[in-house]
Amino acid sequence: MANLPSGFWAGWIVVVTLVSLAAVLWLVWSIYFGRDLHEESEVEPVWDETLAEGHNPPPLWWFWLLFGSMIFSLIYLIFFPGLGSNPGLLNWSQGQQVASSQDRFEASFSDARAAVVDMDLLQIQGDANLMATAERIYQRECAVCHGPEGRGQANLFPNLQDAEWQWGGTPAQIEQTLRGGRRANMIAWQSILSAEVIDDVSGYVMTLHEGGDENHPGKPFYEQNCAACHGVDGAGNEMLGASRLSDDIWLYGGDFDTIRETLLYGRTGEMPAFGERLDDFQIKLLVALLAR
Amino acid sequence: MNGLTFHRKIEENTGLLIFGILFVSAIGGLVQLLPVLTQESLETASANTRPYSAVELTGRDIYMRENCVVCHSQQIRPLVAEVERYGPYSRAGEFVYDRPFLWGSKRTGPDLHRIGGKYSDDWHRLHLLDPRAVVPNSIMPAYPWLEERQASETGNITNKLTVLRRLGHPYTDEQIANAEADLEGLTEMDALIVYLQMLGTGFSEEDAAMEGGSH
Repeated sequence: MANLPSGFWAGWIVVVTLVSLAAVLWLVWSIYFGRDLHEESEVEPVWDETLAEGHNPPPLWWFWLLFGSMIFSLIYLIFFPGLGSNPGLLNWSQGQQVASSQDRFEASFSDARAAVVDMDLLQIQGDANLMATAERIYQRECAVCHGPEGRGQANLFPNLQDAEWQWGGTPAQIEQTLRGGRRANMIAWQSILSAEVIDDVSGYVMTLHEGGDENHPGKPFYEQNCAACHGVDGAGNEMLGASRLSDDIWLYGGDFDTIRETLLYGRTGEMPAFGERLDDFQIKLLVALLAR
Repeated sequence: MNGLTFHRKIEENTGLLIFGILFVSAIGGLVQLLPVLTQESLETASANTRPYSAVELTGRDIYMRENCVVCHSQQIRPLVAEVERYGPYSRAGEFVYDRPFLWGSKRTGPDLHRIGGKYSDDWHRLHLLDPRAVVPNSIMPAYPWLEERQASETGNITNKLTVLRRLGHPYTDEQIANAEADLEGLTEMDALIVYLQMLGTGFSEEDAAMEGGSH
């Protein structure tokens, strides 16, 4: 009960609460059942010949309403924390409340969830209900970047439906990407290569999907600087997140200007880590959905 | 003095009536607010909570200027549905360096208290420039001018840090001396994204475990 007030302020709360409750009770009681004050007082003033204050008492059900709510607050103060450092008979706290409802949540679903985590991917993919759940998780967690249909967005977030995977498309690789996140590290070449060379290399990269132009002036520079990550033939490297350049699938765009921009300024596309945000069940379902 | 003359006296004396009304309406505050002001456990920062850096503070000021708080709350309530959706519920110790706090009370958009690290910087930039580019059914307005203004234009950052230090935020002389240099070359967009990416990172598993649910 570290967070309940203690010492002087606990006493202060008890005294002010109880005294004001008693004062209100006295006030309400005296209005309804006190002596008839009007009889004892001097004559009521009358204005404009007939205008005087009325003597009608307030309706009695108001009294029961007020009295009832005061009884309620007393019962509340007995059972719940309210009077200073007294935790109340129920020992209730907000943190315990959420913890116990989390326990109920666990008790209802944890077995079913654990069973799914141990299931085979093919089995999950064959279960329409599980796939519908996976789709909901995708829409909630992934769709804002990768698009509601998983086709990527904005030339920044990869298409998840095509054959190319920046960081590998096996279930294990997808799971690693989901849990730990990824950060691409294509460096900016503008301070290393001259503008003409960058133009040449960009031109050569555009020919790679047709096997590469043997006589292109950019070829030697490509092999010297780019092949270490992207491969001599442009096959890419999933371990490094180096894109495959030998197909016609482009994340940031495959036109000359975009490739040139990529070379000049580099790319550091980031996939955030979801290992903390999602549990094993949710990650398993997403892997099943994405590895289809 | 019987009841009626006392009552009449109050009714006929405006000063006494004002005092009486103020006193009665203050009772709730005297019980609920006054003791909390002195409660140490609410003033102690969570283990991972630190004062905002110059850039984060500037981003926070932009967040306030653009009134993000009108549509986005920064408080995850202790309810299972919220914890499942957003993450661990907000603790008092995470807000000790918030002046003023930006808890908000309306969720036209989602809660942002655990948004830090959920999306990449690129996503935030794109989303603030044109929300519909990444969330087709979003109703959030676009904030293109953030990209055009320099973060240093939002006010004297050195003064801000100095004032906050006077209020008890533990800034070092070095942090205050470097504050302007920290903002150099950053747009308001950059500062806002830095702020968004640190939201909710002050949470500490250890503190939450120590609480042991008795809160």
